[in-house]
Amino acid sequence: MTLSERGLRLGQDQIVLILLVVLVALLSMSPLLRLLLESVAPGGIVSTQAFTRVWNNPTAWIALRNSLETSLGATLLAVVFGTIVALVVTLTDLRARNAFVFVFVMPLIIAPQVMALAWLQISGPASPLLNALGLAPPLGARNPLYSREGIILLLAIEYAPLVFLTLRAGLRALPRELIEAGLSSGASKITVVRTIIMPLMTPSIVAGMALVFVSCLGNFGVAAFLGIPGNYLTLPTLIYQRLSGLGPGVLSEVAVLSTVIGSIAIIGIIVQDVMLRRRDYRVTTTSLAARPFALGHWRLPVEILLWSITLFVVVMPVIGLLATALVPAYGVPLSAKTATTANFAYVITEHAASGRALVNSFFLSLAASIIVVLISLVLAYFLVWRRSRLLRFLNLVAELPYALPGVVLSIACILLFLKPLPVLGISLYNTVWIILIAYLARFLVLGLRPVVSGYHQLDRAIEEAAQVAGAGFLYRLVTVIMPVMAPVAAAGAILVFLTAFNELTLSALLWSSGAETLGVVVFSFEQGGESTAAAAMSIVTIVVTVGLALSTLLFHHKLPEGVLPWRD
Amino acid sequence: MTLNRRHFGHMMAASVLLPGTLLPGTLLPSAATAQAAAPTGKLVLYTSQPDRDAQQTITGFRKVNPGVEVEVFRSGTTEVMAKLAAEFSAGQPRPDVLLIADAASMEQLKADNRLEIYATKSIEGIVPSAFDRDMTYFGTKMISTGIIYNKAAKAIPVSWADLAKPEYKGQISMASPLYSGAAAIKLGAVTARPDLGWTYIEALRRNEASAVRGNGAVLRAVATGEKAYGIIVDFMAFNAKAQGSPVEFVFPKEGLTVVTEPVAILKTASNKTAARAFVDFLLSDEGQKLSLSQGYIPTRASVGSPSWMPVGTQINIMPVDIKTVVATTEADKKRFADMFGQ
Repeated sequence: MTLSERGLRLGQDQIVLILLVVLVALLSMSPLLRLLLESVAPGGIVSTQAFTRVWNNPTAWIALRNSLETSLGATLLAVVFGTIVALVVTLTDLRARNAFVFVFVMPLIIAPQVMALAWLQISGPASPLLNALGLAPPLGARNPLYSREGIILLLAIEYAPLVFLTLRAGLRALPRELIEAGLSSGASKITVVRTIIMPLMTPSIVAGMALVFVSCLGNFGVAAFLGIPGNYLTLPTLIYQRLSGLGPGVLSEVAVLSTVIGSIAIIGIIVQDVMLRRRDYRVTTTSLAARPFALGHWRLPVEILLWSITLFVVVMPVIGLLATALVPAYGVPLSAKTATTANFAYVITEHAASGRALVNSFFLSLAASIIVVLISLVLAYFLVWRRSRLLRFLNLVAELPYALPGVVLSIACILLFLKPLPVLGISLYNTVWIILIAYLARFLVLGLRPVVSGYHQLDRAIEEAAQVAGAGFLYRLVTVIMPVMAPVAAAGAILVFLTAFNELTLSALLWSSGAETLGVVVFSFEQGGESTAAAAMSIVTIVVTVGLALSTLLFHHKLPEGVLPWRD
Repeated sequence: MTLNRRHFGHMMAASVLLPGTLLPGTLLPSAATAQAAAPTGKLVLYTSQPDRDAQQTITGFRKVNPGVEVEVFRSGTTEVMAKLAAEFSAGQPRPDVLLIADAASMEQLKADNRLEIYATKSIEGIVPSAFDRDMTYFGTKMISTGIIYNKAAKAIPVSWADLAKPEYKGQISMASPLYSGAAAIKLGAVTARPDLGWTYIEALRRNEASAVRGNGAVLRAVATGEKAYGIIVDFMAFNAKAQGSPVEFVFPKEGLTVVTEPVAILKTASNKTAARAFVDFLLSDEGQKLSLSQGYIPTRASVGSPSWMPVGTQINIMPVDIKTVVATTEADKKRFADMFGQ
């Protein structure tokens, strides 16, 4: 190896690193800095008024406490639920697991707002299910979902798939030898799970946990539908309340409240970092998957239990949605006589924007998921294996756009992109590109977390071997690292795609004529009192998403092993 | 401008006589010059109208003004105003015209010196309470707030006071003034009345009334039987009823508050000619008939009243002084939030 070759190689990864830092800084930091500017210097005049106003407002403190309560509670519940399900589904000889995975990730496909409405529908006096069973609550009975516990429960159901998908991808890399070594030294299966598998899976679980926590922190939909009637205020609902109040200085107050959310998110990431730094989790992956644990005579009971819980938490609300989509108006009992397909006909054939929205959302989500995963694969490489201080800072910052309520991020994007870009002179405002940029900023972390956990679990020896053999940085990345990282990368891409596909709060402010997204369509139906059409549109979205997921099975043999969570 | 406990019918009759006396003559000439050239180019509209209504409004406008391309941003009132606030802050507001739910938001914009004065002749025949005396914003319809109830409800309310009775306890859903502009206006109107006032709001709280995010949530709660009664805007209740929801609407005998979905031109509008044409269209017979066909009470009385309104219905409009409401709204909301623990 000559010196000049060495210099060239160093140059290659340095260039990539610099490009990456600039890109992520632009994506994640610039909207937030712009917002911060709004909080300390509204209209260009420095003022601490907004800070003092928020600090002295007891409501803000209550909202902060409530936000912490619901986020922590829901995170705990989602992690326990998601982890147990992922372990059972991936490690045992459970039957029909592909179908099960499919059903279990369903909540990610439905927007939180729509999900909350569906739950209220299915548990209320007009519930077709409860009415059929004669269990429907009487008129005016208080729905227990309107409470802190209700919010925690629904958030946990909504986000448990985040833990599930991250952990499932991690479990794919579980070395068979370690499990077999444990079993053959006489350890019980439970002991193997407890002392070998769980410790090795810490990065995956922690990554999932961090994702759930920030998701809950910024969630507006569930908090709005369950919290406002239940007089339970969280930070995102308080922000929304401030926005609807208008008046001078509102934006700076909103920016201050967002800073609070951002700080909590950052603390969460630091905690995550500390949890991961205590140990080394790296393993060398064998190409063989571990042999599934035989459940023996427990198989059927476990299957029944798992399916019934999942059907309860996932399929129930979908039935609720379907029941709403099939009647002409709210409150009409569903029967053979009242059932109508008019809502479906309306959204599919008559409403021109619906078709456009499906296409727009599909391409926006696809583009976002591909770009995010490509950025994540490189960024995580530097994050985990090079650990520079600058990058660790970027890692924190990448979290923020996802932790903020969508409406805040879109305000930040408007502030930033309203005027044409400097130097280039191009205006992104009122085009579909501003939505794509907002998606990239917001969902970067969804792709990044699973990939980071993947690097934590990978022994760098394989890359070093390639390096010794003379492979350049980009060559190593593409030929050595990417194939090994494929399952986690795919998990990340799927998270980004599904979340972006049903996203609603960003595009509610950023869309423009012709650039509608699915969220915009559902939102305007809901706003115009056409809730039955909104339900029909959500059902159509679910069908399309499931169809897309099923179609991936057609070419699964061309994909690397373990890429599709719904295919063993 | 207030209409003190006047019957709706009387009010309509009265309004026809008013315009001549109302208009400051000095403002008129600019209107005449504005109408000289046929509007062309692009018109940017920000609106919180329901999607279907917004599309019909644009189609109707373009039939009269085929030279104008309309670019629309449609979302919830809060979303529209948040977008606008961000655009103001970044120094480049985009819309030429705004068409949003309530006058309180318009008053706010007017106070910030964002609205253009347009002394249009089109207000002749428009209910005087519906437009700004300084000619910055103009109500395009009257959306009243009354009581909706589920047909399975035991008692049928006839007045606001009924909702404070013990048999309604835990059965009432209403839009929170903290999230809904219309509800904030209503709070201002109700608390200004000696016979209702804050004692009434306190009675609602004691009756465990639940404050939800908006009218859509009230409709959902009542139509699905989660609550037996709700405080809601008229057209939503009637549209749901027409589609088969098991609900009825009553005009409470003390009177109703109205919001007027006003239209306004921004000072920063780049196509003021088209913006003026848009305002004139909404106030014209044609524009008002469109509102009527969408199920709203028009602000031009001569156009008629919507089909859902039983013939001979007597509606009282509660006096609302928008300026006072805006002035006290922050304090009112805070008091409300403290009472309801929000």
